[in-house]
Amino acid sequence: MTTLTPSGHAASTDNYLTFTRGIKSWMFTLDHKRIGVMYLISVLASFFVGGLFALIVRTKLLTPGEVTWIDADQYNQAFTLHGAIMVFLVIIPSIPGALGNFVLPIMLGAKDVAFPRLNLFSYYLWITGALLSVYALLAGGFDTGWTFYTPYSTSTETAGVIPVVMGVFVLGFSSIFTGLNFVVTIHKLRPPGMTWFRMPLLLWALYATALIQVLATPVLGITLLLLIIERAFGIGIFDPGMGGDPVLFQHFFWFYSHPAVYIMILPGMGIISEIIAVHSHRQIFGYRFIAFSSIAIAVFSFLVWGHHMFTSGQSPLMNVVFSFITFSVAIPSAIKVFNWLATLYKGAIALNTAMLYGLAFMFLFTIGGLTGLPLGTLNTDIHLHDTYFVVAHFHYVMMGSALIAMIGGIHHWWPKMFGVMFSEFWGRIGCTLVFVGFNVAFFTQFMLGSQGMPRRYYQYQPEFQTYHIVSTMGAYCMALGFFLTGAYLLHSLFFGKKAPANPWGGRSLEWQCTSPPPHDNFSTTPSVGNPYDFSDLRWNEAEQGYEVDPNAAPAKDTH
Amino acid sequence: MKLFPTLFSANARVTPFGDASARLDAGRMGMWIFLAVLALLFLSAIFGYLFVRIENAATWMQGSPPPPPAILLSSTAALLLSSWTMHCALRAAQRGDKTQGKWMLATLALALLFLVLQAFAWVQLIQLHLTNPFTTGLYAWMFYVLTGLHALHVFGGLVPLCATTARARRCEYGPNDFGGALYTAMYWHFLDGAWIVLYITLLLGSSS
Repeated sequence: MTTLTPSGHAASTDNYLTFTRGIKSWMFTLDHKRIGVMYLISVLASFFVGGLFALIVRTKLLTPGEVTWIDADQYNQAFTLHGAIMVFLVIIPSIPGALGNFVLPIMLGAKDVAFPRLNLFSYYLWITGALLSVYALLAGGFDTGWTFYTPYSTSTETAGVIPVVMGVFVLGFSSIFTGLNFVVTIHKLRPPGMTWFRMPLLLWALYATALIQVLATPVLGITLLLLIIERAFGIGIFDPGMGGDPVLFQHFFWFYSHPAVYIMILPGMGIISEIIAVHSHRQIFGYRFIAFSSIAIAVFSFLVWGHHMFTSGQSPLMNVVFSFITFSVAIPSAIKVFNWLATLYKGAIALNTAMLYGLAFMFLFTIGGLTGLPLGTLNTDIHLHDTYFVVAHFHYVMMGSALIAMIGGIHHWWPKMFGVMFSEFWGRIGCTLVFVGFNVAFFTQFMLGSQGMPRRYYQYQPEFQTYHIVSTMGAYCMALGFFLTGAYLLHSLFFGKKAPANPWGGRSLEWQCTSPPPHDNFSTTPSVGNPYDFSDLRWNEAEQGYEVDPNAAPAKDTH
Repeated sequence: MKLFPTLFSANARVTPFGDASARLDAGRMGMWIFLAVLALLFLSAIFGYLFVRIENAATWMQGSPPPPPAILLSSTAALLLSSWTMHCALRAAQRGDKTQGKWMLATLALALLFLVLQAFAWVQLIQLHLTNPFTTGLYAWMFYVLTGLHALHVFGGLVPLCATTARARRCEYGPNDFGGALYTAMYWHFLDGAWIVLYITLLLGSSS
């Protein structure tokens, strides 16, 4: 049985959610959409746990001295768990694993990713990594900080270090296989007419991300392997007493982990390009600049790792070189922001939840980016290194930008993923709470850091208490926003209005198939055009969605 | 296979490619990327080795023997030979020739021989001078780490090699279906190349 969708495509009433039933049909699915949904659930569950640890840390910091309910060792474990969970289990896999898996093949016009079985394998590698991390927690926890710096990580008595490092090693391979899948998919599965410059910008961003995942993660792999061997056998490679060098660990670690920051932020930038263009119904400004700036960021990402090590004793010449290249990253980043702003100019801006998250991203990413400059400057970095200024800076980029983009993306594609509309009213309130809470929590930390409050400290000087209380209140406000968001999204699954095929007026291919999409994505080969030409769309009151106007002039590639 | 019906059933959508040659083309590209990943893994390990080797230039070989040359030369020969037999196996598989099974089996035997010889090299190094390997210096440990890393990849490669050997023995590969043999062969040649680079690095690193 088939029905006619608003855009005129015949589609089965059976969608990917109901195509087959039963737990096994999900556990062993090869459908990229189901794997994306499984990633989404897993990543959001991890986000919940990581968030709880953040609240524990912030609650402790209400008081400058010792507290009875959490001692210093437990506090060390709490911030380590928060960091490790958020970085390795949430932000890195969130957009490529969940949203990327769901939308990449549909946006491309393909049936699936190039290697569906490898895709499922990546997901189970993620699960294995997560289970190893849980085991590490049960085995005695770990208090190394998410960076696992030697010599502390090789000497700490917490027993969970080796299991969690093994977990991160496995998660790394999950990330590599996802990246590999995406690169081959984009190269080999573009249908006729889908040229590189007709690809939506999210796909360029995911492509650049995938290149980093594939090229940087192996270095993390060997680093973690050496750390495990060092900790288990004491071989001495990171121990100066035995001829090794702890700074070697830092070089290895940041050679991966700085590019990893771009693994987190680049797909977020891709999502924002979609959100800004679609919800302002405006041809994206500077398509090629945004596309190539993603590749430029990917290239730069490999050349700046030393800026994490300005105080490690590396040579002054290296410091100068790394500082200079670090400033260069501002160029492709700013290109994106200015192009988004230019896209908004004279656009028909719909201030809905997804767009609010898009605007929030632009604001927060700009602050995050600009506060990177004093950290990339050698003399100011000496003062700010290892203070709350750094904590605030990377939260603005990793959370205020990458995660906010992820949540914006969830709202943008929620009707497509689950075929239901969420409450815009509660969506806007949730976004406002998150945005206000975030700034209260983290802008305060810039001031804390610039006044000398070191990061990761259990106790602190009483003069910092006011800032800490304000910051914690911001964290609570943000938590409230997230709980609200979770609540109305869950509510929509059961009581939400049925979503039309194209609720926002998007032109990329995913808006051409039904919501939720059919098992094979498209019943007929979709027609590929300019993904940002919105001129031929018209509102269909009966469907409460957009459709292509058959009388409109054919779309042109104007970028 | 009954446990995983959707993964191996003939009706399941295990590939989005319409025809076999497009699928092979994508598989080949995926394999090249995978080999690039492994190359970066080995290069990082070699970088770590060179880093500590250069930092300890004066004391690196003090009182330590070089790696046992006779055994390592034999294992190198075994691996090189296995690369050649693998090449012949792939050619036979692409032609659908009946000799594909024999060549694959020869590769498998040489792979096992390589692992046995590497184990002998370890044992000899431990017996020669390093009575307690857990307390000896960085020089010996880096030898174990680098050769161990490679041996683990050879060991892991035995799984697809056994699978392709079983299929080749049944003469299942032919001109239109040789993907499995091709990917295994690519991996095998990579292991060969990686070992040559590692071996030269270790030889140069253990000369004063």
